[in-house]
Amino acid sequence: MFFHITLERNMQLHPRHFGPHLREKLVAKLMKDVEGTCSGRHGFVVAITNVEDIGKGLIREGTGFVTFPVKYQCVAFRPFKGEILEAVVTMVNKMGFFAEAGPVQIFVSNHLIPDDMEFQSGDMPNYTTSDGSVKIQKDSEVRLKIIGTRVDATEIFCIGTIKDDFLGVINDPGAAS
Amino acid sequence: MGRKSLKGKDSAPVNKTRHIQVDSSDSEYEGFVDERSPASAKASGKASSDLKSGKKKVSFESLKTGRKTSFETPAAKGDWGKGGKDFNAGKAGGKGSLPQATAVKPRLTEIELKLELELPKNARLLMDCEAAEILQEIEEHKTILSEDPKVKFPESFNKVLQYTKFGGHYINSQSARKVLETLKINGVNDGEICMIGNICPETVEEVYALLPSLKANKHKNEGPIREVLASLAKVKSSK
Repeated sequence: MFFHITLERNMQLHPRHFGPHLREKLVAKLMKDVEGTCSGRHGFVVAITNVEDIGKGLIREGTGFVTFPVKYQCVAFRPFKGEILEAVVTMVNKMGFFAEAGPVQIFVSNHLIPDDMEFQSGDMPNYTTSDGSVKIQKDSEVRLKIIGTRVDATEIFCIGTIKDDFLGVINDPGAAS
Repeated sequence: MGRKSLKGKDSAPVNKTRHIQVDSSDSEYEGFVDERSPASAKASGKASSDLKSGKKKVSFESLKTGRKTSFETPAAKGDWGKGGKDFNAGKAGGKGSLPQATAVKPRLTEIELKLELELPKNARLLMDCEAAEILQEIEEHKTILSEDPKVKFPESFNKVLQYTKFGGHYINSQSARKVLETLKINGVNDGEICMIGNICPETVEEVYALLPSLKANKHKNEGPIREVLASLAKVKSSK
């Protein structure tokens, strides 16, 4: 789920950047440091929306670097257990399939795929129902439920299921079961 | 220091087949004997913090056999020193904390949605469509900024933008948000509102199947949810 959050960070700046464009340099450094990173608390920081406040800089003793406390707002993405997501399948194998929802990778094990779907190997490996009516292959869109998450420094990885009601391949905007 | 037995079942004096290491130092749990598997090191890291607080989580056998009985608790109560230094199997010691997780399983969805309240108070949950609008604006700004070669933006940004558009069901997000806000009075929390907005369910049954936490107040919120779904259908863009 996405959320808009205010965060604070202490940014260190080398004296060579001091000058009339100090603020721009600080913001650029902040963007470089923060966008695209992950944390356990707020998940994946997608983009900074605005910088609210830059506090007074404090010169660090011994090094000459200056630390600025920066308050900024950003859009973050974090998957929660129990959340329902729509994802695009990226890889299918006999253990299950991998799907992607934004910055997040989700794995659905074959144990969490309905029993009536069987793995078919071949050029385009896929899971198909016995009557061939529903197929899950690369680039299919599926609606799944997150049942577990793991957050790394640079990415979030989840485990999902499609074994419940109203989950599975999305054919039309309405039919997913 | 409280000594809690996990399931409260007192087992007979234990058959000490496994070897026992009693650590003399209270603080060094990482230095315990068995690093049987890499997973155990991680798991025991978890357990060590519990032990530092003086709680006892000793149910080794239960995990192996799948039963949820507490094991060695009387022994633990008596024999070990202060903070429970029995780490005969790092694996088991670490997993001592796991049975608690499985016991809570049925109520998982409720808890997960309530987890959002743990976010800092200034966090505002966004539906995918709202996030799409914000990111679209940022992208427009960035295209201007990208003329400056020093400014780069991460590749993940495009991925996320695409993902938010992928779920773009509504003509505009404000109308969708307006409709969904009316559910707040009926005890539906922010997380659930966003999920309904993202999923775009067709029927009330779908809502209850996908968000079981709402079932608790079914008598209160069924009517409002039905109305909201009808209003949302009007705001949906044809896709």
